[in-house]
Amino acid sequence: MKDSQPQKTSSHPAKTSKTVILSVLLVYVLTVATNLGEFWPFSIYPMFSQAGRTWNRSLVREMPAGERVTWAASSLENLPGAPFSVRSNGVDPIDLANFVSKTLVWDSLRVAALEKMMFGGRTPDKSLMIFKVQGRLADRVGVEVTATPWVLISPGKDQVNPSIVP
Amino acid sequence: MKLNLSDNLFGFDLPDSAGQRIVRKGFELFVGVATCYLAWKWGLYTLRIADVVLPLGVARYVDISFMHGNSLPVWNAVLISLLTVLGFGGFKGIGRWAYSVAFVLLVFQYAARYSLGEIPHSANLAGMGLLGFALGRLFFTDPLNGSRFSIGFSYLFIGLGYVFAAWSKLIATGIFWPDGSHLWMWINEKAVDEISRSGFVELNFVQEWAMNSRLLATTFLAVGLLTEFFAFLVWFKRFRYATMMAILGLHMGIWMTMDILFALSVWELSILGLPWAVWIDYFIQKRLKHQLPN
Repeated sequence: MKDSQPQKTSSHPAKTSKTVILSVLLVYVLTVATNLGEFWPFSIYPMFSQAGRTWNRSLVREMPAGERVTWAASSLENLPGAPFSVRSNGVDPIDLANFVSKTLVWDSLRVAALEKMMFGGRTPDKSLMIFKVQGRLADRVGVEVTATPWVLISPGKDQVNPSIVP
Repeated sequence: MKLNLSDNLFGFDLPDSAGQRIVRKGFELFVGVATCYLAWKWGLYTLRIADVVLPLGVARYVDISFMHGNSLPVWNAVLISLLTVLGFGGFKGIGRWAYSVAFVLLVFQYAARYSLGEIPHSANLAGMGLLGFALGRLFFTDPLNGSRFSIGFSYLFIGLGYVFAAWSKLIATGIFWPDGSHLWMWINEKAVDEISRSGFVELNFVQEWAMNSRLLATTFLAVGLLTEFFAFLVWFKRFRYATMMAILGLHMGIWMTMDILFALSVWELSILGLPWAVWIDYFIQKRLKHQLPN
């Protein structure tokens, strides 16, 4: 339903829009170029761009009390402990995966931050083993996935895989 | 076909209609609700963050840890919500600046929330929508032109964003990006995320098909890449709705194969990707005809 006719006399809004858009594009380019392609909400949208590369994620298993800790890598089918849902503790699994894979130095502060993420500041009431999971393309099996115990958060004392202790 | 980008995106000189006004205000309402939702969602999650793992964006210039370990994210969410309501109300004075201030505060809210290494893009379209309305209020004195600019701004950056995504894939991986084995990798990666989230995982039938046929997996990826590559067609009215439907289809495909749903983007594409204004005008016209005596 056409019920009003704007005046055709001025091109001013078109001119203003051009100036504003060009300015935003300039800011867009400058910010993403100097920030690894990301300056929210500007982005070069690189998600899924690096296809076929090895990926790192994480998952958590609840360990029975008193079980001896082993730090050897295994397949997903042979993990020790019982399945544990990070959602039940209000944690985003991608946050956890990034926290584990992007942390370079596992000092006591970083382990404490991981404990706070998992338990929200409460004292741990169960033993949770955080695994670093790696997937890679393998000729025969398609995709090969291995999980390595990374950090154990427990009521007594947190432990870090000896291979990554600073 | 008119190739003038300004006419296609903004249509400043075109006649207005009740349907167009309702769609523009409806889109503004969606952006406002999305802004408040994100401010609170990010703010409440930030309360449990104690350390910065990977500072990005504004966090590279400002030490964002001042937002951690206190209730600042919640107060920021309150402020963003109030400003959004003031912006939507279109009040003179503060109403003109409200969306701009809310946008800046939301950038800080995002940086505080996503300092753990995750860089999600699910809220980017909503963020650009807010920026569009902020700029529309700031630089256009006539509210009609301002709101037309805001909608056109969203169309422009929707098209640009998906084209950037296609280019990123071609630059980072090359023309073999659609190889089906790459989809196998992502399906496995997302399966681990699901195990982490809920403790177990079960592949759906589309994922099973893709895992059993490299050709089918390759076809899925190739269609997705082509859709992104031609997303700039949303800039032109003639192709807009068909392209938006293709992009919606792309999101449904991502959801089915990788279990990732960009809910806010899907809502936005559904509002901007269907000819709601034409349908509303048709409905009003029909009702008017019905009410008029013969």
